[in-house]
Amino acid sequence: MSYHYNETFENPDYHFSETLEIDRRGSSQRNPFSYQTPHDSSQSDYYGERRGREQNYPVAIPMASLGPGSDCSQDLPSTSPYGNFTGNLSFEPEPELTYTPHSTSHMLDYPYTHGISSGSEDSFIRRRNRRPPDDIFMTSSSMLETDPMCREEEDLIGSLASMSTNERIKAIQKMPETMRKKREIRNKVLKEITKKSRHRGAQCTQGTWGVSFGRFGNTLSEYFHQLRPWHKTLKIIGAEFGTSVLSYFVFLKWLLNLNIFSFLINFGFITIPQFLAAEPNNLSFTGLELLTGAGYFQQTVLYYGFYTNATISKVENGPSYNMQLAYIFTVGIYFVICFLILLFSMARFFSRNFVKLTKAFSVNASKLLCTWDFNITNEKAVKLQQKNLLTQIKEGLTEVNKEVLNFSVKERVGRIATHLLAWVVSLATAVASCAGVYFLSINNLELFMKGYSNDLQRQTAMLVLPVIVSLLNTLIPFFFSWLGYLEKFQTPGQHIYVTIIRNIILKISIVGILCYYWLNIVATSESQCWETLVGQDIYRLALVDFIFCLLGSFFGEFLRRIIGTTVCMNLGLPEFDIGRNVLDLIYAQTLTWIGILFSPLLPGIQMIAFLIVLFVKKVSLMRNCQPPRKVWRTAQMTTSFIFLLFCPSFLGVLSVIGVTVWRLKPSEECGPFRGLPSMYAAVDQWIQILESYTVSKWVVWIYHNLISSELFFFIISTVVLIVTYLYLEIIQARKTMTKLLQNQIINAGKDKKFLLQKLRREQRAKRSSSALGGRGQQRSSSSYHPSMQPAQEVPGYSERAFDRSQNTSYHEHPFSVEISSSSDFPPGGEPSPSRAVALALRARAAALGEDSDGSGGFQP
Amino acid sequence: MGNKQTIFTQEQLDAYQDCTFFTRKEILRLFHRYRDLAPQLVPLDYSDKPAVTLPYELIGSMPELKDNPFRQRIAEVFSEHGDGNMTLDDFLDMFSVLSEMAPRDLKAYYAFKIYDFNNDDYICKSDLEKTVNKLTRNELTPEEVSLVCEKVIYEADVDNDGKLSLADFQHMIVRAPDFLSTFHIRI
Repeated sequence: MSYHYNETFENPDYHFSETLEIDRRGSSQRNPFSYQTPHDSSQSDYYGERRGREQNYPVAIPMASLGPGSDCSQDLPSTSPYGNFTGNLSFEPEPELTYTPHSTSHMLDYPYTHGISSGSEDSFIRRRNRRPPDDIFMTSSSMLETDPMCREEEDLIGSLASMSTNERIKAIQKMPETMRKKREIRNKVLKEITKKSRHRGAQCTQGTWGVSFGRFGNTLSEYFHQLRPWHKTLKIIGAEFGTSVLSYFVFLKWLLNLNIFSFLINFGFITIPQFLAAEPNNLSFTGLELLTGAGYFQQTVLYYGFYTNATISKVENGPSYNMQLAYIFTVGIYFVICFLILLFSMARFFSRNFVKLTKAFSVNASKLLCTWDFNITNEKAVKLQQKNLLTQIKEGLTEVNKEVLNFSVKERVGRIATHLLAWVVSLATAVASCAGVYFLSINNLELFMKGYSNDLQRQTAMLVLPVIVSLLNTLIPFFFSWLGYLEKFQTPGQHIYVTIIRNIILKISIVGILCYYWLNIVATSESQCWETLVGQDIYRLALVDFIFCLLGSFFGEFLRRIIGTTVCMNLGLPEFDIGRNVLDLIYAQTLTWIGILFSPLLPGIQMIAFLIVLFVKKVSLMRNCQPPRKVWRTAQMTTSFIFLLFCPSFLGVLSVIGVTVWRLKPSEECGPFRGLPSMYAAVDQWIQILESYTVSKWVVWIYHNLISSELFFFIISTVVLIVTYLYLEIIQARKTMTKLLQNQIINAGKDKKFLLQKLRREQRAKRSSSALGGRGQQRSSSSYHPSMQPAQEVPGYSERAFDRSQNTSYHEHPFSVEISSSSDFPPGGEPSPSRAVALALRARAAALGEDSDGSGGFQP
Repeated sequence: MGNKQTIFTQEQLDAYQDCTFFTRKEILRLFHRYRDLAPQLVPLDYSDKPAVTLPYELIGSMPELKDNPFRQRIAEVFSEHGDGNMTLDDFLDMFSVLSEMAPRDLKAYYAFKIYDFNNDDYICKSDLEKTVNKLTRNELTPEEVSLVCEKVIYEADVDNDGKLSLADFQHMIVRAPDFLSTFHIRI
């Protein structure tokens, strides 16, 4: 039998797994218990022991029982099985050699070593583990009692000291240790650093510089911290309604910040210069203009038409400010910045939240262990969340049976027909409302051109279009969600997504048809200043949308609550509809983006509107709503909202702006671009002027060769395509790799299980024979262990099993107890093939990244 | 910098800043939160490191924790002696881990400990049952609970040992993006 195992020892594969063990030996040898205590399923927390936490837990039992006589030291040879083993095969367990596991608080045992770990602390863990495997043998067992801990710590401190300040602080912060421990380490590291820097004076100054700079950064960030005005509001919302509703407010806050930013840009670069050259405004102000945006406002900085096309210079022959260029560059750069912000935040969300490409999402597991929202601190909300989880779990239990249920062909056809019909109906609704909006707006324009009998009539006529649009936007979503209920989707997720898609189709197509109307009808009409007309339209739309949003929270939430609590009791409190509200925000933001060119101060107006919406929604939420019953997968929802904001909305806006800037002829009598064939012509003219100066030749060169040359863009796009293709291939390869590795983990697990069973059988046989034989036999039996052991414990427990099978009071190696009493196991072998396997497996799994060969080779 | 407050020495504050994810202001705010729990026990001068420990009853009555079904576990996991009684250090530690800045691995480690009721470094079936009962207010029948737990183990147990190790847990959390935002207590 022993021969057999020796053979497996020769197996290169096995070798590999053992070297791994040695690499990890740093953690296991310090504290033989660290791997063994977990075998005791009763209770013992080796982290806890080491960290000194939870000391009054039953954990203490193994420690107490570790008095003299518990020969942990016999584990030691096995911990470095490599190389020295041959000399130690006959190692005699000496009971008097005691190993007191003083809480060897070495950081290295952090769980991170096994897990997916990131950052610097992992790298220093590895560095530390790479000690020569022999040196534990050089030390006497008595040294072991005190040394390992100090050594560990010294090493750790050394590696921490060699890091940069920032890295070090981060590494210390990340340690899963008590504060006292962390502080100890930190102080030691600091001492170490000052010791070092005394040797090298030059570095010292640098170090303190770095430190003081870091401190300065800290104070700065503190002051910025105070500027976060929403912190408390967000905390309250998160506490009462959970992260899903919170995500709406975070999104709203983000949009608000974006609008503040664009308002500042526009105001700074376009409006302030315009103030310097402003003409007096002689229109009267009645108050109704606030609603219509027309009249008085026509002659203000609110609209495109008011801006001058001159160059502004206050000082004769001094530096001048070209309004045309300022206008086009401000808007252009703003859109570029928006594009980058959106792209990066979208990419970040995608990479963070769509990691689960490989395997089916473990729904139940994460539902139980990851969904509890620690944000929630309100008693009612806690109860509600518990109730929701309960229903979800129950649904999940019934779903198990439902999945098997297959629909008959007839039913399936019926289902598909319903879905098709619903889609047709919803698309038809969208088309019909688009057509309605289109004809209404054309009609409106004609009326506007003809003029009205009186001013009031004219202003009411102006408001018809935005009111109709907002009505459509508010009412049709209700129709869609009703349609969704009729359709009977299989999962609530499908329902939500389909409804959202339909809503977005509706909203975007309405905006699209309006854009078509503005660019094709208004722009070619004989009006004096069509840009201002468009600007006014957008102003009205945005304003009416804002009013409808307020009305929506009044009727949808406030009245609904009154009805729900007094008239129809079974309706209950309304829920906060995250999807609908977020779509409203996206719509409003789209309008703002389109309007920027025609009405540069629109972001400012939208900023105020969002601010009010934020407060109204908050109050309405607090007063009227209850936390949502549906599970909103917050992270994924946020990702898709950002995506929606980017994909139809922002890209659509870009194309509208593009057409306006490049294709359309600006009006002849107003605005900064009057008299030019297109807005972009301003840039062309500027370049022509620049050509006459030698200093700015490079700008001209860049313009001709990079910006306006097709060849350059052709090359760029080819390169991008190639890179994309390469990345796609790499992703494909990685996926295959992951699949292989997963299989390997499973196989390795099976191997270990098999070996362990074999060992156990062997054990039983030996035990029965050792009852007859004597110690001599034991020793010979132990000789095969090192060769086969994948994890360090195996020889240890086998020997102990012999020595101590009588000693039932012995706890510190519950595993051996398990072995010695293995005859009690049910034949199925179910009682976990024990942690030895698991640990070995984990070590292996951690190394699988490097080891991609099959591991089935060593199966006996 | 440190001219206004006399609670901590500059050195102490620096140490706290290096060991937690908090800024100076936040540390002071947390100190006041801690002190508010028992103004008569906690002195206003911490520069001589008084050994003050607040009992679990006080910690668990904080508004941030008092309705959390796992409050006892949280307090136990973060207290130095595992009994739920906390010193200021433990208190800071706890909120540091639960803060927004803490990395996923650190959060996962402590979440694992919180769910590991019997401290055996594995989330085994009995731990899961406790979790389920806490999450659903004991409203499921024992059979249902055990069915749910089996499913969870089946789904999340990568190495087939019948219980969830930290590695399994981390593996699961990587695929649950919500975890980072939900394992978080705003202070």
